[in-house]
Amino acid sequence: MNRRIFLRLAALAAIGVSAALIYRNTAPIGAWNYFRWAARGQKQRFFGPPGIVALGECSSYNTNLLPCLRGLWNQAEMPEVRGKRVLIKPNLVDFLENHPVTTAPEVVVGVADLLFELGAREITVGDGSAFRRETWPIAEANRLASALASRGLKFVDLNYDDPQPVPIKEKWFQRASEFWLPRNVLNSDLIISVPKLKTHHWAGVSLSLKNLLGVVPGARYGWPKNMLHVNGLPLSILGVYQILPPVISVVDGIIGMEGDGPLFGNPVPHGLLAVGRDPVSVDVICTQLMGFSIESVPHLMLAAWAGIGQTHRIKIQGVPRESLQRHYKPPPSI
Amino acid sequence: MKSKALTYLLSNQNADGGWGYAPLQSSAIEPTSALLLALRDIANCAQSSQRAIEWLRRAQNSDGGWGFNLNDAESGWQTAWAVLALRLTAGEGDGSRRGAKWLLNVQTMQLTPATIQFSMKTLKIDPYLRGWPWLPGEATWIEPTALSVLALVSEADIASSARMNEAIQYFQDRRCPRGGWNVGNPIMFNSALPAGAHTTALVLLALSKLAPKRINPEDIKVLRSEMGRGGGILGLAFGLLALRTLGEDDPLAEVRLSEMQGQNGGWADDLYKTAVVLMALRGKI
Repeated sequence: MNRRIFLRLAALAAIGVSAALIYRNTAPIGAWNYFRWAARGQKQRFFGPPGIVALGECSSYNTNLLPCLRGLWNQAEMPEVRGKRVLIKPNLVDFLENHPVTTAPEVVVGVADLLFELGAREITVGDGSAFRRETWPIAEANRLASALASRGLKFVDLNYDDPQPVPIKEKWFQRASEFWLPRNVLNSDLIISVPKLKTHHWAGVSLSLKNLLGVVPGARYGWPKNMLHVNGLPLSILGVYQILPPVISVVDGIIGMEGDGPLFGNPVPHGLLAVGRDPVSVDVICTQLMGFSIESVPHLMLAAWAGIGQTHRIKIQGVPRESLQRHYKPPPSI
Repeated sequence: MKSKALTYLLSNQNADGGWGYAPLQSSAIEPTSALLLALRDIANCAQSSQRAIEWLRRAQNSDGGWGFNLNDAESGWQTAWAVLALRLTAGEGDGSRRGAKWLLNVQTMQLTPATIQFSMKTLKIDPYLRGWPWLPGEATWIEPTALSVLALVSEADIASSARMNEAIQYFQDRRCPRGGWNVGNPIMFNSALPAGAHTTALVLLALSKLAPKRINPEDIKVLRSEMGRGGGILGLAFGLLALRTLGEDDPLAEVRLSEMQGQNGGWADDLYKTAVVLMALRGKI
């Protein structure tokens, strides 16, 4: 074998190995999507619209949150809600005494009050617990039920809300061509994700995007919604996000959770409210304010890579981020 | 209490013969099956039940299983409900036999070295024990396993099979350290997770049919405690149903349930919950 033949064979082998590696790495979503998403990610990074995140400081739930939320809403240049049907989606995954698992009711009704003020046509509050067959007892335990009653607001258990199938975009769910979503979700013009700021042992953090998995109907997928994990949590989080009506964010970080989240972590008096029209941008900033890099959150890395939302060019409004910077204890690693 | 509830259920049957979870919702497998079971042996309900049986038969998928509703081609955990309802209300039939076969053959998540290590180290469970998943290809969980056992155990040749013995071991393995059961993760990252009334009740119902001697008094104690901890209507109703099936009782639970009944005769304006409460008041599925 002369040198030329050897080099040709080596080049062919390298091409073959590269092709095999690409095939293996892209198998879940297909090579076409792999390269298309990567190109979209680069386009979004350099040419996509910048994200705007408004940060507010509020040390207690015992103050009137409406003025703060109103200010942040304006600073974040949030979308028009007049005449719209809006679904407020808090985190009601479970209730555990002495652990700040759920979104505080004061934040949920603060958002509802603001929506009333802004002329929303219909306001519904809904979630579907991941572990319990009934979500309403969680709302009762964390005082959301009485807060909603005081405003005459309707609550929907999204686990049983007459789910309907909708087509899946691209290949975010590998084993299915359709995904079932609750009727109130499909009928909404706008969803406001109102998560609790906390760590999460599978996802790294649980913020606006992870909170959206509560819309997945247990009556179709079970308790817990294991399909989301089998599909891969990062793909599922972004897959669900993309089949929903437009989603915006209001994050309850007045008291956050560190350590063994999403259930058994410890409270952190953080004093943060974060508002933005791009949930990806909001989650990037909140992750950083918890003291983590987005490299530690696979679904944010995937969003950056695939060009879902804005992860790089984010404009901060309101309180300077330095005064809200904390260093949360990370969740236990898998 | 019961007659008002019956009127509520019967007046909310859909034109197609099934029931949704709530009035005006489209018919779904779980509530229709639960209502069929709640209405069985009740005079004046035969016609409604027959329409529901026909709807359930129409909703069966070609693979023998059932999905969420008539339009759901992916069979899943609802198959156990449909088999149980058809066996107990319509007797032995081809539909329930094919459903039972689907349940026995359903695929669970493939084990990999990573999932085996994760299950044993982080969750401290035995990944080799087969229960039943919510949907094919997934991990196995307490509720679909208990429902599948209840659906399959009426078959004499299945009741004594290795698969059922494995189910008993599965329940023992997934038991919470302080007794009772939750969704199926007794431990996570060295934290003991609490049991729930609803899941504990379902396992006790399954064990009452499968292996009554394996029921631990501690689990009944945990069930009673969890029923009183705000588990909602379903925890209370399934708990009372399990206790009565085991020959025990909780009169206070019945009082609490009666206090929760709505003006329209239903519980939380929910047809499924109302059906489960009726079964609890009767004391058997």
